[in-house]
Amino acid sequence: MTDQSLAILLVLATTLFAVGLFGVLVRRGVLLQLIALEVLLAGPALAFIAAGARRGDAQGQAMFVILLVFAAAEVAIGLALYLRLRRCADVSDSDSVSQLRS
Amino acid sequence: MSSNFWLLLVPVPTLAAFMTLAFGPFWLGPSQVRAVALAGAWLTAALMLAASGVCASGTCHLLAPVFTVKVGTASVALALILDPLATVVGTTVAIVGGFVISYSLGYMARARLADLRRFFAYMNLFLGAMLTMVMAGDSINFFLGWEMMGLCSFFLIGYNMSLPRAFAAGRKAFVITRFGDVLLLAGLLLLFYEAGGVRIDALVNAALVMPPGRRSVVAVLLLGGALAKSAQLPFHTWLPVAMAGPTPVSALLHSATMVAAGAFLLARFAPLFAATPEVLAAVAMVGAFSSCFGALVAVFQTDVKRMLAYSSISQIGFMIISIGVGAPQVAIAHFVIHAIFKSLLFLSAGDMAYAAGGRTDIAALAGSSTRRPIAYFSFAAGAASLAGLPLITAGWWSKEAILASAVSAGPLGEILWSLALIAVALTATYATRAVLVGAGPSTLLARPPAVPPAGIATNAPLVLLAAASLAGGLLVGPIVRFLGAAEPDTPAFSAIVGAAAVLLGVSAAFALRRHPHLASRIARARKVRQGFRIDAVYQQRFVRPFRHLAYWLNGVRRGGRSSGIVDPLGAVPVLGIVWLVRRMIHWAAVDRVDRVWMRLAAMVPELSSFSRRSQTGRVRDYALSLIFGIAALLLLALKSPRLPWH
Repeated sequence: MTDQSLAILLVLATTLFAVGLFGVLVRRGVLLQLIALEVLLAGPALAFIAAGARRGDAQGQAMFVILLVFAAAEVAIGLALYLRLRRCADVSDSDSVSQLRS
Repeated sequence: MSSNFWLLLVPVPTLAAFMTLAFGPFWLGPSQVRAVALAGAWLTAALMLAASGVCASGTCHLLAPVFTVKVGTASVALALILDPLATVVGTTVAIVGGFVISYSLGYMARARLADLRRFFAYMNLFLGAMLTMVMAGDSINFFLGWEMMGLCSFFLIGYNMSLPRAFAAGRKAFVITRFGDVLLLAGLLLLFYEAGGVRIDALVNAALVMPPGRRSVVAVLLLGGALAKSAQLPFHTWLPVAMAGPTPVSALLHSATMVAAGAFLLARFAPLFAATPEVLAAVAMVGAFSSCFGALVAVFQTDVKRMLAYSSISQIGFMIISIGVGAPQVAIAHFVIHAIFKSLLFLSAGDMAYAAGGRTDIAALAGSSTRRPIAYFSFAAGAASLAGLPLITAGWWSKEAILASAVSAGPLGEILWSLALIAVALTATYATRAVLVGAGPSTLLARPPAVPPAGIATNAPLVLLAAASLAGGLLVGPIVRFLGAAEPDTPAFSAIVGAAAVLLGVSAAFALRRHPHLASRIARARKVRQGFRIDAVYQQRFVRPFRHLAYWLNGVRRGGRSSGIVDPLGAVPVLGIVWLVRRMIHWAAVDRVDRVWMRLAAMVPELSSFSRRSQTGRVRDYALSLIFGIAALLLLALKSPRLPWH
């Protein structure tokens, strides 16, 4: 892999991260925020893989696997919270649960 | 010295019995309560007997230190000692205590369980306290035992809590003896100040080298404590009303042991008193007047327990006379004999009164010789000893020793001797009168309710004490010698005149019996019966003004309305302190530094509300600040020189 293709991949990763962050910040629906969070996590994952491939090192792929685990845990917790919110309070707007009480 | 450790164990069984009964398991049944009380008293008596055996067989100056604290130059050394005085008095107390507690098993049989526990707990505590006082080698143990005795006396007089009279009597005894205790404490503290130690021998030695003026002050203070405890004139008024307590209490505390503690105190500090002749003369005169007064008033009593109470005042007066003429050993011998026959008199009178339906007036004793022969004849034996029938009774020997020591004590001694003779004659009169009434036919209008016959627990102490009060005369000489004095040799004329006085008193009692108009005149003499109304005078002069003062200080004014300031004496210091503190705070509160500080304090709420604004609770805000934080960390990392990409 050349430096040029690495640079392209890193720009792509940064774009993914920025898109995800933008989604988290501007969307108020809990489900869409979770999707945006997944997109956001894909950015660093791509950066790890690209950097690992550039150096000929497997550590980048190992980090990707760890990131997958993180993402799975985060999605599990996030979806559980989302379901509880929908069932008990019937809300999908994350701003409306800012008081930490019903 | 640790080999004398067992000495500390002597009062322990009674205290253990007290702890068991007072704080111990609640499931103890009546028989177990009795067993604990009996075991406590008799174990202590056995230990005390063993101690007296050790003392009689060899050297008799054992000392068991408890602990020693050195404070500056003063050395506070607590210890129990066993010298001849402690041995004689302690053995008497322990054995009489054992007898009285055995007797109480039957006498208190019908009491409720809780009352029974209370009664035996305090009786055992009293025995422990008295033995601690008797064996005390230092003024602290001595005073502790002394105070504990007063406390037990208060509780036991007021044992019958449903009787307001009993409670008032207990309070009166407590207050009057407390008055004396204050004097005693002052005396002991002055001695401590002088000696820099608390051991009694050190105190006495220090007293002997004191300036005479201060020595007299100390002696007078100690004398005040002794007189209040021993119910001598002018502090005698608490003893007759203290008879509101149960009979075993009167037998143990208010005749045989505790009341005589004043005589013991004077004997303990005898060298100090010997060095102050003028105080010693006052002691002797107080004793002589008390013995005459007590005997005279006892003749006019209609209640047997009150009669015995005045008799105790009179008999302890004899002991005080003997101490006053410089023969404390003879006084202690009389203490022993008096403890024997007076406890016997109380116990047998209690049994006779119990058989007569609980009435304690002398008239109700009539017919006791058939109702309760054992109690009656032991009462007669005790009364004979109290009267001092010549040669055959113990009381004769001890009283004769006192008369002999008085008559050989100079010109003052002869006045004392003649006063004591009057008391002896009067004593014989009242003692014989009660016995004669008991021998007569029953005069009770209604037949008293049938009561169960006295058991072995009641009769055995009576018989043993009766035997001792007749044969105990053999003890007088050995006791006096054991205490380290030569037996006073009785002049023949003193013995003859003494015997004549006794016989005169006895025949006066027979004359009273023979001529009822004399007896009725005596019965009308209410003023004498009430002890010349000294009690009422005290009530008028001291108690009522004091009570008025107390009410006034509490803000109660005439007519029941309360005034503005409650307790002016107490309020003035409080108001002063409040004013002072307010001034100090005011000085600090108007300071500029203080104002700056207060402004800082006022800013705290604003700051906290400002910082609270950052916590919106919205996920998106937190995510944004998270990102800013990570960006800042990344910038820091890029600037840091340690990282590998530099």
